[in-house]
Amino acid sequence: MWRATFKSLLARKVRLLLTTLSVVLGVGFVAGTFVLTDTMNATFDQLFHNLTKNTDVIVQSRSAFDSAGSNNADQREPMPDSIVHTIESVNGVAKAIPQVNGFAQIVDPATGKPIGGMGPPAIGASWSGDPSEAITLRSGAAPHGPDETAIDAATARKYGIGLGDRVKILFEGPSHLFTVTGIVGFGQADNLAGATLAVFDFPTAQRVLDKVGLADAVDVQADPGISATTLRDRVAAVLPKGIEAITATDFADQQAGQIQSALGFFRTALLVFAVVALFVGGFIILNTFTIIVTQRTRELALLRAIGASRGQVTRSVLLEAATLGMVAGAIGVVAGIGIAVGLQALLGAFGIDLPSTSTQILPRTVIVSLAAGLLVTVIASVVPARRASAVAPVEALRADGAPAARSLRRRVPAGIAVTAAGVGTLAYGLVGGGALLFVGLGAAVTFVGVAILSALIVRPAATAVGWPLRALGLPGRLGRENSRRNPRRTASTSGALMVGLGLMAFVAIFGASVRSSVDHVIADTVRADLFLSSSSFEGFGPDAAQVLRTLPQIDAVSEFRVVQARIAGGNATVTGVDPSSIGRVANLEMRSGSLGALRGDAVLVQADTAAEHGWSLGDPVRIEFARTGTQTFTLAGTYERDEIVGQYVIPMSAFEANVTTQLDQAVLATAAPGTSVAEAERAARSALTDFPNVQVRNQAEFRAQQAKQVDAAMSLITALLLLAVLISLFGIVNTLGLSIHERRHEIGLLRAVGMSRAQVRRMVLAESAIVALLGALLGTAVGIFFGWAVQRSLADHGVSQFAIPGGQLALYVALAAVAGVLAGFVPAVRASRLRILDAIAYE
Amino acid sequence: MDTSTTTTDLPGPPSTAAARAEGLRKVYGSGDAAVEALRGITIAFEREQFTAIMGPSGSGKSTLLHVMAGLDTPTEGRVYVGDVDLTTLSERKLTQLRRDRLGFVFQAFNLVPTLTAAENITLPLDIAGRKDERGWFDVVVDTIGLRDRLRHRPSELSGGQQQRVAAARALVTRPEIVFADEPTGNLDSRSGAELLSFLRQAVREVGQTIVMVTHDPVAASYADRVVFLADGKIAGEMTEPTAERILDHMKTLEA
Ligand SMILES: Nc1ncnc2c1ncn2[C@@H]1O[C@H](COP(=O)(O)OP(=O)(O)OP(=O)(O)O)[C@@H](O)[C@H]1O
Ligand SMILES: [Mg+2]
Repeated sequence: MWRATFKSLLARKVRLLLTTLSVVLGVGFVAGTFVLTDTMNATFDQLFHNLTKNTDVIVQSRSAFDSAGSNNADQREPMPDSIVHTIESVNGVAKAIPQVNGFAQIVDPATGKPIGGMGPPAIGASWSGDPSEAITLRSGAAPHGPDETAIDAATARKYGIGLGDRVKILFEGPSHLFTVTGIVGFGQADNLAGATLAVFDFPTAQRVLDKVGLADAVDVQADPGISATTLRDRVAAVLPKGIEAITATDFADQQAGQIQSALGFFRTALLVFAVVALFVGGFIILNTFTIIVTQRTRELALLRAIGASRGQVTRSVLLEAATLGMVAGAIGVVAGIGIAVGLQALLGAFGIDLPSTSTQILPRTVIVSLAAGLLVTVIASVVPARRASAVAPVEALRADGAPAARSLRRRVPAGIAVTAAGVGTLAYGLVGGGALLFVGLGAAVTFVGVAILSALIVRPAATAVGWPLRALGLPGRLGRENSRRNPRRTASTSGALMVGLGLMAFVAIFGASVRSSVDHVIADTVRADLFLSSSSFEGFGPDAAQVLRTLPQIDAVSEFRVVQARIAGGNATVTGVDPSSIGRVANLEMRSGSLGALRGDAVLVQADTAAEHGWSLGDPVRIEFARTGTQTFTLAGTYERDEIVGQYVIPMSAFEANVTTQLDQAVLATAAPGTSVAEAERAARSALTDFPNVQVRNQAEFRAQQAKQVDAAMSLITALLLLAVLISLFGIVNTLGLSIHERRHEIGLLRAVGMSRAQVRRMVLAESAIVALLGALLGTAVGIFFGWAVQRSLADHGVSQFAIPGGQLALYVALAAVAGVLAGFVPAVRASRLRILDAIAYE
Repeated sequence: MDTSTTTTDLPGPPSTAAARAEGLRKVYGSGDAAVEALRGITIAFEREQFTAIMGPSGSGKSTLLHVMAGLDTPTEGRVYVGDVDLTTLSERKLTQLRRDRLGFVFQAFNLVPTLTAAENITLPLDIAGRKDERGWFDVVVDTIGLRDRLRHRPSELSGGQQQRVAAARALVTRPEIVFADEPTGNLDSRSGAELLSFLRQAVREVGQTIVMVTHDPVAASYADRVVFLADGKIAGEMTEPTAERILDHMKTLEA
């Protein structure tokens, strides 16, 4: 059996290649994801250890918790800078260098636009110029005095900023002009993983970062012969309560750990797409093996006739699949490594400069990837293997070699059962409190169920879809008939495309629904005329709002700031608002209590969240801040609308008392009575020219901006789904190739009686277009259902509207048809080049 | 392009033959593996005649038929259909010529399984985008006696019926010549006889020209003329044949 298996594998090289490819891409995605994230983890690990390599111990205030992955990751209370003297007095301390850091965004002198901020942060820091520090001087000199700065080499290179240039730098407080006296790097790297950096001498940094008399950390170096742990213990002994000393190694591990947990999320997201790709690949394996088994019916029957048992036949098919899965897995791992290396290069091209670490290929990556390839192929070939074993020995004697056609009836109960199970699982995942895993599983099972059922409608559907192809004359008609002659095959070929397109349609619908819901939210809850937001993720300094308050054209001005905190054992976002003006710019729809009560240690909580925790008015709500630890607030009211302010709202005074970074996420304002919005907008824009990182928008622009953000996310997801679509196109190529081989006699006959090559091509392309269209239409239908189901389940969580972007879906279907035609091209050319005589030769 | 123009364009000696071959050689493969299937054949098939080609297995009958029908190219020599030299035609022209001027019946794989009997019959017309000539279609259908089966698919027809549909398809374009390679090879004697009578009728009543390869002396006896092939060469011929005389001649060839 072994020999027979391998012979049959090798006999069909092209087929094998295409089939393998459908698994290779999925496996490659898995391997690539692991390699990329492992390499990035290793890179950050190395980076943070390099940064602290000349430091032995770091002194900083204790953090209540690590708010990993959030925008304001390290919300520690700054220490009085006098702590340096305390540390210096410890026996064994060679040097103690105080540090401050914070937000500092460099403005491109050429364009006046702030640099970076969307992604890696814009960092400002103190730098003593001490050569033992992580920052190394590349050229020029260390900055001294209130008007000097040094910037990172990557930013300097990219924006053509040189020594002696004057640059404007934005802070939480007032912006300031500096002369660039130095260009700095981090060892080999030109910047810190994409962050921009501006450094100042310590007193200047304290002043511009609004930390006069304070230090965020003190880097401590040990005398020779003193170990880091010894020094740590000695230093810790003299530190006041609330301030800790940790070894530089531990510090680096903690920093790297924060990045790694963020990367873990990224990895999971990528793996979801890899699973989709593998799932689609499974469809293609199933289809290919089914066709191959059908075409080998006679050979299998012969094997059975000469005494092979059913089990042996099953095993031989499974073995063939396993071999293919292993080969595909191995190629996939190699491809994945290639993809990861390519992606890294791409990140580099986007200015995210990481120190080069060797590509991380862990045993886990290889094992998981190989297992994924093997599992998908073997599972997908179980059904064809069982079918093969069911071939009766008498089939060997059948003249036409084709097995008796099986009825589609049995598909009805099976299809309905599987679809129902899928929808049920999906529903459980969405509303029954199930996890996201159930949603994915339910969607996958639903796709399988629909694919099973779709065989039943292939005939009428192909007739309908192929109707316009009558314009092609006989080739069009024959193409349509060919797509109808084997409904199972057509169903599972188009099924693979259905998955990709279904998900794309779902994403499009979800995006449209979110956009439309956001529009409604803005209409229902926002009373402001003007919206200030930052060009970076970090927000902008509080000055902008103060400037706005001075304008006569502006009436109410209200700031919003956010911070990650812990409430009742979970992570939560807390919003700081201005109680005196928030009611004029937003409508929270108070359910109990009042906005007016929001002062001192009062907190407002979204009504449902409050109910979940069983809080009622006057109850204490404990909020744990990274900087100040647990603080007790009193519930002063509940509100309905959480779209703008989230679940927890505290007065700005409390926010300022408990949070280190005071950056406005947004400022909402209204035009003064008697002033038109346009006038107010103009006044705001001209007053804010000194704040290049602040963007002023009116309602229409704000809406458009929100829509753009949704679209950007959806486009990214759609792009990743295209891989699944690509794989399904390979499936079309593969199936058509196999079908053409099966129909070679018929094609030879058509050619003999006068069909031209062009007509043969048209015939194949017509079939391929129909298969693609069927898949696209089914996918769209399933996608609409998913979109509806998900929207319903999120109706109370901000996605109140259901919208179908008709034009976009129609475009997807049209593009799928075009892609189908392109996929049909290779088989079409091959069909048209079949040698007539080979084809009509009677074997 | 209209094929009649092609006819006048091309030089070549005028002839009354529907198709003919001159000095035909066909070698398959090369070097040691080379097989010479045809070794210099010159033959003409007269109009309105039913010719049978006979010979031992491997004597080159199918090869001759394929080369004459433009399905394969000769290694040497010329093939004419009417006055058109097939060896000078492009692939496209050759396809057109097969479509418009030739008819085919093979031993198997004669019908397109997705099309009904009627659609199979009009296949060459549909390929050409020609409106079928209703009158002639009816004549052909009535002659093969399958009017009640026209809507059936090939899988619903018996082997004999399938071959008759194939014959009807070969005739429906009123081709200059019909080539048939063992059309009765898979049929029982009764179905074979029906098909052969139909072919002979087409020759007698509408002046169709037919060339048929067969192994069966009885089948060959339906023809007006029998050409014998042996070892890639012509090995005699016979007019107004009977099954016994054919059998006798065959014995001399195989000896
Ligand atoms: N494609 C080919 N490649 C190589 N040799 C071939 C090919 N086709 C035919 N031959 C050889 O050419 C010779 C003539 O073959 P052909 O099929 O014409 O014989 P035939 O008279 O039709 O035989 P049969 O009565 O068995 O059908 C044979 O020796 C055959 O093996
Ligand atoms: Mg033959």
